[in-house]
Amino acid sequence: MSLLTLKNVSKIYGELKALDDVSIHVDRGEWIAIMGPSGSGKSTMMNIIGCMDKPTMGEVLMDGVDISKESSKKLTEIRRDKIGLIFQQFHMVNYLTAVENVMVSQYYHSMPEEAEALEALSRVGLRDRARHLPSQLSGGEQQRVCVARALINHPELILADEPTGNLDEANENIVLDLFSQLHEEGTTLIVVTHDTEVAKAAQRVIVLDHGRVAMETNNAHAGSAKASSFL
Amino acid sequence: MFLRMITASLLRRRSRMLVALLSIAIGATILSGLVTIYYDVPRQMGAQFRNYGANMILLPGDGATLTTDAAENALAVFARDQLIGAAPYRYVRLDMVLRQQSFMAAGTDFEQIQKTSPYFSVEGRYPENEREVLVGKDIADTIGVKLKSVMELTYRPTSAASLGAARDDTPTPGATLSGGAEGWNGGMVYVSVRLDGEGYIETVEVDASNQTNEIGGLCAQELFTSQFVGKKIPVTLGSDVDTIAGATMTSAAVVEAVNGASNIASVANKTSNFTVVGILDTGGDEESYVFISLEDMAALTGEAGGLDVMELSVSAAQDELEQYASAIQDLNSGVIPRLVKRVTRSETAVLSKLQALVFLVTAVVLLLTMICVSTTMMAVISERRKEIGLRKALGASDNGIRTEFLGEALLLGVLGGVLGAILGFAFAQLVSVNVFGSSITFQPLLLPVTILVSMAVTGVSCLLPIQRAVEIDPALVLKGE
Ligand SMILES: Nc1ncnc2c1ncn2[C@@H]1O[C@H](COP(=O)(O)OP(=O)(O)OP(=O)(O)O)[C@@H](O)[C@H]1O
Ligand SMILES: [Mg+2]
Repeated sequence: MSLLTLKNVSKIYGELKALDDVSIHVDRGEWIAIMGPSGSGKSTMMNIIGCMDKPTMGEVLMDGVDISKESSKKLTEIRRDKIGLIFQQFHMVNYLTAVENVMVSQYYHSMPEEAEALEALSRVGLRDRARHLPSQLSGGEQQRVCVARALINHPELILADEPTGNLDEANENIVLDLFSQLHEEGTTLIVVTHDTEVAKAAQRVIVLDHGRVAMETNNAHAGSAKASSFL
Repeated sequence: MFLRMITASLLRRRSRMLVALLSIAIGATILSGLVTIYYDVPRQMGAQFRNYGANMILLPGDGATLTTDAAENALAVFARDQLIGAAPYRYVRLDMVLRQQSFMAAGTDFEQIQKTSPYFSVEGRYPENEREVLVGKDIADTIGVKLKSVMELTYRPTSAASLGAARDDTPTPGATLSGGAEGWNGGMVYVSVRLDGEGYIETVEVDASNQTNEIGGLCAQELFTSQFVGKKIPVTLGSDVDTIAGATMTSAAVVEAVNGASNIASVANKTSNFTVVGILDTGGDEESYVFISLEDMAALTGEAGGLDVMELSVSAAQDELEQYASAIQDLNSGVIPRLVKRVTRSETAVLSKLQALVFLVTAVVLLLTMICVSTTMMAVISERRKEIGLRKALGASDNGIRTEFLGEALLLGVLGGVLGAILGFAFAQLVSVNVFGSSITFQPLLLPVTILVSMAVTGVSCLLPIQRAVEIDPALVLKGE
């Protein structure tokens, strides 16, 4: 069942084609890894899928709706309702506590509920750090808060741009473990990574190069494999 | 959550927000201070202006005098706290017979004079006790009196008209009449006229001792007075009586005194000794008057007598004064109110200029505050670009961002307004005490007004910065370092 389809999508900055005629297809519940050298257009693609940017050419169908020509207001709504975002640099509101940061996401989505936010923090193992400010948390802890924030509204699609890029191995594994839990719950995951170990956890790997899809491989074992098997 | 977010933003980012708060509070302080002064200036300056003398006078209608009752009725028109003083004046001519001096004396109330004419400068003190006199500097110089000198003041009844009594149309035959009139250089000429049984003048005696001896004095001699004998009052100068060459004024005065002479026998000359307790220096006409209390004047003249004029010092602007004036007019008590235009006009002009100045300064401060707040907010927003991008990525709509920052701004506005209202009052108080030397009362209404204005100013100054925030592209700011 199709969740997302990119048809001949290009993103052109002046002379530079950050994305060049990319067509991919993602089914509901799939776990995709996107790899490629620096500057190959991974983040550009994620921004387009994440409704934060529009393609220069081509169609982006999400749930059968072409989002490539929507107004930015509409894009904000789609992002809010369907997508959870995780960034390499964590990005938290630095004057709000961990639990408040999670609640911000609830606030924009529907109604902030502290109990639910605390539960999400428990899930990423940070129940006892709920009242700490970002500056009082380690990088790994911050990223886990961001995972909790991304999953709090039960999005259909989680987009993570190098979520483990700034993490040590232990924290990387915790995050991967959370991803595979989400995957089992049926959430669609698209994860940009440089790390082959992270890529291996996904069902399918798409490699970009110079804005084009250079390679697509299926990981035979993936989907059933638990991230914990990487521990 | 909204409140939690913006209060957290204010509380946990204290130093940054303090700068913004400070600029708002300073703006609000100066604004509320200036507004307070703006509204207080008329009161303050009004009180100041009252130092420059009366701004309204009450005159008797139809040449009569002002009765105490009529004056009191008129004074009842004024709001108690606006009537600063009301000084009565009754003018009478008094003589110092031995020194051959005659001058105008004003009977008045010295307590009130000090209120209506605070600028009077008195060497010595104002009279407080019976038979004390305040002498104008001019007179003091001319007749050479000093503090503690004793002046023998004499009241001589003059013509009936100036006594305020109705003159008999035909002088009673066989009576002896007395009268007086102003001759050369303000000196009084007094006459005593005896009529025969048919009403013809039998004798005229003239006291011209206040005139120059050599010339004016001729009018007291028989060559002049004999001309009156056998004539009937009124006598015509030029046909009945010939003018003494070189003593035109005195001749005319004698004729006037004879024609005005009355037979109020009871009015005899009265003399009392007064002690000079003060010399008045005003730089104005007042210097050629002597001032005694109304009571002393009544005793000296033998009658209470009405007032010739009443000077009022009213703490009110011109239009309010005009309202009072027409209210007095409406009483129909024969009292004629007049504004001292010279005073009220200049007061009004100075006031409106001062208010315009304060208004201008207020406008400039308002503008500066807005620029300052706007710049601060601009800095705040650019510092929080990442956060704003993140909020948008998390699904904040443009209006959501607007509401949040406007909320923050308005909260700052409220805090700044409260601070500003309090500090502004202190500021206004400081200015008032130092510049005007009087304190101001706190206007409770100013607190909500300052808060509202401060909110509005902050809100408006934040519009541009907030628009900047809305324009932030999350994809750009969230991208790597
Ligand atoms: N806003 C922009 N304006 C101009 N060029 C851009 C812009 N955003 C990205 N690019 C260019 O597009 C190309 C793709 O950038 P992108 O950020 O997608 O690379 P990436 O694959 O995510 O790289 P990395 O692994 O370093 O994050 C790069 O050459 C980049 O310089
Ligand atoms: Mg990238």
